[in-house]
Amino acid sequence: MSHTAKHTPGADLWMYWGFRWTQYRNGSEFRRRRKLNDIQKALSRDPPDVAMLRRMAISEGGLLTDEIRCQVWPRLLNVNTEDLPPPPGPELRVDNKDYQQVLLDVRRSLRRFPPGMPLKEREDLQEQLIDIILQVLDRNRQLHYYQGYHDIVVTFLLVVGGPLATALVDKLSTHHLRDFMDPTMDNTKHILNYLMPIIELVNPMLYDFMQRAEVGTIFALSWLITWFGHVLSDFRHVVRLYDFFLACHPLMPIYFAAVVRICSLILYYLCNYKDIAAIQRHSGGWSGTF
Amino acid sequence: MEAIWLYQFRLIVIGDSTVGKSCLIRRFTEGRFAQVSDPTVGVDFFSRLVEIEPGKRIKLQIWDTAGQERFRSITRAYYRNSVGGLLLFDITNRRSFQNVHEWLEEAKAHVQPYQIVFVLVGHKCDLDTQRQVTRHEAEKLATAYGMRYIETSARDAINVEKAFTDLTRDIYELVRKGEINIQEGWEGVKSGFVPNVVHSSEEVIKSDRRCLC
Repeated sequence: MSHTAKHTPGADLWMYWGFRWTQYRNGSEFRRRRKLNDIQKALSRDPPDVAMLRRMAISEGGLLTDEIRCQVWPRLLNVNTEDLPPPPGPELRVDNKDYQQVLLDVRRSLRRFPPGMPLKEREDLQEQLIDIILQVLDRNRQLHYYQGYHDIVVTFLLVVGGPLATALVDKLSTHHLRDFMDPTMDNTKHILNYLMPIIELVNPMLYDFMQRAEVGTIFALSWLITWFGHVLSDFRHVVRLYDFFLACHPLMPIYFAAVVRICSLILYYLCNYKDIAAIQRHSGGWSGTF
Repeated sequence: MEAIWLYQFRLIVIGDSTVGKSCLIRRFTEGRFAQVSDPTVGVDFFSRLVEIEPGKRIKLQIWDTAGQERFRSITRAYYRNSVGGLLLFDITNRRSFQNVHEWLEEAKAHVQPYQIVFVLVGHKCDLDTQRQVTRHEAEKLATAYGMRYIETSARDAINVEKAFTDLTRDIYELVRKGEINIQEGWEGVKSGFVPNVVHSSEEVIKSDRRCLC
């Protein structure tokens, strides 16, 4: 038993990386605390420092917690939390052209609720979700419901709760989501058309590749009109992304879609391209892009 | 290495909201059934290989579409590049059956100058006690349109394979007889590749070793 644990091969290396990891953890904890502090400071100003809150929502980690989101999202959308819409009456469900479709969609949207949530609680939230959607549509008769809209509304409901969610979604629907809620999808298709020119500017080679493969832009439709809520399975990622979109220009989701597409195509291309020389040649070109 | 197929057929699945389009496709491509399925937003894409005869495989590219009417201006762009379609209604929902005609007109109007081979699918046949559309009237409608009629259940996996493979065989026959032709700039039917076995196996080894991911 001469060789003891202290001489385990690589132990020094493990200690070194353990130390570095602790350093990193401490560093990120420090940054987090500083960020929480900055957000509170920006919120307590009179008027609140919205420019600062935008920067916080965009930068690493976004708004960090749902408690903070409840305070900051209304500021980003310039919604007055003192003046929330009254709860809807029963007539709401009678007199609405979209009621049946909303009902069908919300009742089968279980995936968007936290797994393990008690049935009763989920059903209550689904009913609230239907009410919020109908209330916003009722207040803005020019708006039309689309499948996927419920994916956005449920995010607000789960983060900020009923009455505030109604006010935020109302604002969002008449601004950021306005084009998707026209009587037709023509304006939505128009926005999707921005995607290829953005990709062409960033990476002409991938643009050519996509044009040749005739992939079109339809793959980005659900990303765009649900702010990725329909395709992301982890709720933390959804809300982090919403922090970002709420702090940016309404067209940001289409820029983000371009980035996602470019990154995923590069990965695909690298995995499938069989000629190593070509990979090296092309990756040289890409490194300049990122 | 990619599986070898003789042809690739592009199929589109249409029908009213909640008739079970996504569930039918998932049962066919993934072999599973979800009791509750999220609404489709826009268009989703699936694929599967089907062996119509020993050694003869067809790759099916299946386009799942949103049922809500406002998405039709987007989904109609997909008719033109499809060679086959499954037109679904829910046998427990009479309205979805009445809308079959409208769906077909929509497809016809946007498929020109090509043609789509449709099969009429009465879905959710496991819910026979709640049936609102008789098999007889559905068959009559299908005959009037010159289509096959089949009743399926994604939940109990009834006729799901058959619905897709029968349609695939019908299209294959039309292609074989030259009634449907592969055309440049049309995605409906594509010819598969015949691999050079020696060459491709070399490539596989090379790419395995050198993949950067």
